[in-house]
Amino acid sequence: MTLSLVRNQPYTLDLVEASPLRRADPRAKLALCLGASLAVMLPLERLAIFMGLYLLLLVWARLLPVAAKQVWRLKWLLLALFIVDWVAVSLDLAVIVTLRVLLLAGIFSLVVSTTTPGEFRLALERLRVPYRYAFSISLAFQSINLLAEEWRAIYEAQRSRGALPGRARRLAKLPRLRDWVALTVPAIVLTTRRAWAITEAACARGFDSPHRRPYRQLGMGWLDWGLVAGIAATIALLVFL
Amino acid sequence: MLTVDHLAYRYPSPAQDRGLDLQALDVQPGQCVLLAGPSGCGKSTLARCLAGLIPHLYHGELSGRVLVDGHRTADTPLWQLSERAGMVFQNPRAQMLAATVEDEIVFGLENLGLERTTIRDRLEAVLDRFGLQALRKRAPLYLSGGEQQRVALAAVTARHPPVLVLDEPLSMLDTTAVEELVAHLADLVRGGTAVVICEHRTEPLQRLPGLRTLPLDQAGSCPLAPAGVPAPQPVEPFGLDVSHLDVRLGRVTVLDDLGFRAAGGQVVAIVGRNGVGKTTLLRALAGLQPHRGTILAGGQRPDLAMVFQNPDMQLFNATVRDEILYKVPDPDMHWYDWLVNTLGLCDYQDTPPLLLSEGEKKRVALAIALMRRPAHGLLLDEPSLGQDAAHKAQLMRLACSLAQAGRLVLMTTHDLSLAAQADRLLLMTRAGFVADGPPAEVLADREAWKEAGLIVPDWLPEVRP
Repeated sequence: MTLSLVRNQPYTLDLVEASPLRRADPRAKLALCLGASLAVMLPLERLAIFMGLYLLLLVWARLLPVAAKQVWRLKWLLLALFIVDWVAVSLDLAVIVTLRVLLLAGIFSLVVSTTTPGEFRLALERLRVPYRYAFSISLAFQSINLLAEEWRAIYEAQRSRGALPGRARRLAKLPRLRDWVALTVPAIVLTTRRAWAITEAACARGFDSPHRRPYRQLGMGWLDWGLVAGIAATIALLVFL
Repeated sequence: MLTVDHLAYRYPSPAQDRGLDLQALDVQPGQCVLLAGPSGCGKSTLARCLAGLIPHLYHGELSGRVLVDGHRTADTPLWQLSERAGMVFQNPRAQMLAATVEDEIVFGLENLGLERTTIRDRLEAVLDRFGLQALRKRAPLYLSGGEQQRVALAAVTARHPPVLVLDEPLSMLDTTAVEELVAHLADLVRGGTAVVICEHRTEPLQRLPGLRTLPLDQAGSCPLAPAGVPAPQPVEPFGLDVSHLDVRLGRVTVLDDLGFRAAGGQVVAIVGRNGVGKTTLLRALAGLQPHRGTILAGGQRPDLAMVFQNPDMQLFNATVRDEILYKVPDPDMHWYDWLVNTLGLCDYQDTPPLLLSEGEKKRVALAIALMRRPAHGLLLDEPSLGQDAAHKAQLMRLACSLAQAGRLVLMTTHDLSLAAQADRLLLMTRAGFVADGPPAEVLADREAWKEAGLIVPDWLPEVRP
């Protein structure tokens, strides 16, 4: 693995404040995600229709550039998937599998670029996910960039001591198992320490309190109900007609 | 308010820190106690005992008792204790839980079960008090160290705990951030909060009202290098020449047309506020950071070994010996012996490096860097971070020894007492270096320090040219 892929490029996306979906209830956006996850099971022709509608939604939500950026990051995975499926099975399968991955990647960017981890946590709480798990999920979500940074720092630290081959030598030979150990052991140690530090910090501020009362509120408005109804109707039409 | 009675604690694994023994401690409202002592003497362990994290999160051997506001920590649920004793940890970045500063503060208030209006009032009050209004929507993880520590303190004090415990809160801060934090702590003490601080850097805390210092034992003092070990082999004289150095991280220009020269045989300290690009400069010098401009040592690419802030990023071998010798072609065992002797690692050669204390790990990282015998010298990124006075003295002895053998030692530091011992001091801002010269001259240049946004504290001992 080369870290040039992630250098100076955060994994998570910046919030798109201008998007109308930024004001939508996270639960409505989760419903959109659920709908899209069901849509990937549609046959090719219907999936193509759904993709068209989804593109229109992205244009309306001013999220087309964000989704395109996210898909671009997956270009090699998508290309490999397409070629393998085409060579191993058929062109039809290659197209449908690639479209499915595209759709899932796009819908992920739709949610993460319009929802803060705090809003996401609150939505999970309202959906009766226990607070302990909702908190952990949102924390993991906001720590993705941090983990990427730590991985990069470990890579550089090991390269500087000669434990890993430099860039030119890396191209000449594949990394050995020992090189991976040099990366993964410190990564596990740092991640474990970070997890422990977070546990301490959270407990020192009353994480386990039975009296917890959320400060922020969520409310489903007309936009949210419209989104939920729209995705439900679309899926129903594409499945049953 | 806070009472400790015959407290003793041992961690479940003997390889972990040495534990703690404390006969008695009593802190009343409006009092401030400084727990001072070398690395490994149990300061952090005591802080965790006072906040109740021990025994609730750590399952070692605890005897004696700690009472917080009349509640025995061992018998009271942690969430109840957290309402009475707030804790601020050493690494401000590691304790950030939320996506925005506002949410970071709200997190602790929600857990108190307060009404929304009360939470809002306390949030606004604490944002005003700690000067965080402009940062309220920012991500805490991407603030400077000083700002993060202010957020951490704000998040804890918003809960109005009658007792506040701080574990090495100054270790990662520059002098300006230290002064700000001490001023906030002084306000809290005057407001009636009982404050307990565990810290190596004791000088800045001396102006806290009614400060009482409680020295812990010297169990953790580090071994000194034995006499009679051979010095490193001298190298040919050379000069490091950095010119027109540009570094961009994404859209941000971190270093812009930076240039300086340094001769081998010097210890050079670089001081500047958090975020001015000190670490980026070291990474560029080590060949780890893509850049524009030229970096040459004696007309060729420099061979400088870098020691990082966090030693955990490099350690993975089964023993200290394997770690230091890993992938070193034809290791010179005399050099190895000199390193382990000088760095006080003789007794740990067969110990897994991950089980060592932080100070010991840092010395292993230093040995790793030097075992490669870098031709031109050493780059040290915040070498004194979390180190006690004995470790710092040991580090400076090593740096001077390398410099005497003609190598260049370049270090970034917030610790002005360490920087004052260098041969040369560079004061760095976002625009480049604003002062350069012997520490005595640079420390006396008040205008340059003002331009750098830093202060030279009164407690810094006078440095003579």
